[in-house]
Amino acid sequence: MVGAVTALIIILLSLFSPVIVKYNPITNSLRERLLPPEYFARGLNGHIFGTDDLGRDIFSRLLLGSRYSLFIAASVVSLSALIGTILGAISGYFGGIVDILIMRFCEIMMAIPNLVLAIAVMAILGPNIFNLIIVLVITSWVQYCKLTRNNVMVVRNVEFVKASQALGASKWHIMFSQIFPNVTTQLIILISQQFGWTILTEASLSFLSLGVQPPIPSWGNMIADGRNYLITHPWMVFAPGIALMITVLAFNFLGDGLRDVLDPKRI
Amino acid sequence: MNTDTGTLLEINDLFVQYKTERAISNALNGLTMRIKKSESMGLVGETGAGKTTTALSILNLLPKPAGKIVSGEIIYNGNSIIDMSSNQLRDIRGNKISMIFQNPLTSLNPVFTVGEQIRMVIQKHKKVSKREADNMSKELLEIVGISGGRIHDYPNQFSGGMRQRVGIAAGIALNPELLIADEPTTALDVTIQAQILELMKKLKTQYDTSLLMITHNLGIVSELCESVSVIYGGRIIEYGSVRSVFGDPTHPYTNGLLGAIPLLDGKKDRLHAIPGDIASATNVPSGCAFHPRCELADERCRMEIPQIVGIKENHFVACFKKTEGL
Repeated sequence: MVGAVTALIIILLSLFSPVIVKYNPITNSLRERLLPPEYFARGLNGHIFGTDDLGRDIFSRLLLGSRYSLFIAASVVSLSALIGTILGAISGYFGGIVDILIMRFCEIMMAIPNLVLAIAVMAILGPNIFNLIIVLVITSWVQYCKLTRNNVMVVRNVEFVKASQALGASKWHIMFSQIFPNVTTQLIILISQQFGWTILTEASLSFLSLGVQPPIPSWGNMIADGRNYLITHPWMVFAPGIALMITVLAFNFLGDGLRDVLDPKRI
Repeated sequence: MNTDTGTLLEINDLFVQYKTERAISNALNGLTMRIKKSESMGLVGETGAGKTTTALSILNLLPKPAGKIVSGEIIYNGNSIIDMSSNQLRDIRGNKISMIFQNPLTSLNPVFTVGEQIRMVIQKHKKVSKREADNMSKELLEIVGISGGRIHDYPNQFSGGMRQRVGIAAGIALNPELLIADEPTTALDVTIQAQILELMKKLKTQYDTSLLMITHNLGIVSELCESVSVIYGGRIIEYGSVRSVFGDPTHPYTNGLLGAIPLLDGKKDRLHAIPGDIASATNVPSGCAFHPRCELADERCRMEIPQIVGIKENHFVACFKKTEGL
């Protein structure tokens, strides 16, 4: 419940950010650099979270940055969930050589540290948002694949699968209509966790300036910009850092809540 | 006995193997069986004798890749089930031949309401709208004694006995010609067993369905079936009308099985137990599979497999000792 509300607020804020923001988040205004947060002393017209070293309003940058973070996270999670689930379901249901091939490939992917792979690929392809999404999908689909495969293998051997076969159901019907709904609960939990993870990884890559490129704001590169001023002007790091933390937490809570709601055993 | 009606299902000399990395298990070793239209046949035997394998073979649903039909034929209404394409098979499953499973707790999908599960079976085989299918599901639930208003409930909201009724409702949804019931009452307690049997009896007379009742409960067979086949080591060793087989059990194994049932009246004696263990499917004894446990066994029983021979009308036995003089 808390998760759902917070996540909804975050999504709405980033959707309506063009209406809310009063300052251009990209243009410099050196006379206003490093102003401390005014919070809501002047309503939405003030520098709510202060300004950064180039005099840009941090609140505006935060909201605009959230659009990129959420957009990237949503695309990455849905794409990798789609790829991972389909491969995992095929692997778990059919077994045999197909299973061996897909699983060995997954293990190769898992043997490479995610962040290192991401850094390498971004360095080769060049940092832009499209490449960032591709990199994150490459590193995260394996988890969905493994999870789906293992759960499908468990469910495949339950008697109702045999029962629906005995009553005339086809392979694809059994795979996607009978078995798949039984594994969605775990998938939803993983998706919500991965959502948080993706936002974090995106921030890490942007922090290393391999993700979203300046002047477009992203929480990661905002933290990177602020780290030189951490002692003297901590709000530059705190605002995006806390936003990051709240967002990741919210999506994790959302996943937990969804699991409870979707559990068919709940009466 | 409906001796005048035709044969619905014919299994001839069926051999089924399960191959695993460690061993080959010979589950069926020349099983032969005949089920007539609207006949109810009981298939009894110990755990591991091949009862469930027989049922799964009839639907061509042996677990892949381990299970394999090595030789023999299964003829349903004149067509060989083994040679059917998977499309033809799916057409038959649920529509013509249907099955009720042993464990009602696991044979329903927990994420669908019971109505949806019955509806899926109906829509798979019949072109009907969702609403019509829903109405049919409701009727089916009423037939098996569950209020039609419960089609929107999930399986976990039902008790074990009621779930088995749902399983039966899904099994009879399309009015199949043959219903295979694989120990449908084993997981239920005695009073619920009685209810389910009563229900199956009622449905059988109502729909004129052939029934293959797989069980190790001889009481159920005498209650529900007209004929009975006794399976041992993957072969039928005695077959006939329930009256004849249970009244005059001829094969030493059937004799032993019936001797192991406690009687309510008569003198209280120690129950007769068959010595030894059931024939192992990984290492089936040569000759008559029962010979290591049989008091009458001699050299011939160890060497040759006895063929099933009629000893009177509607009573067949596979035993050298009992059929020698005939």
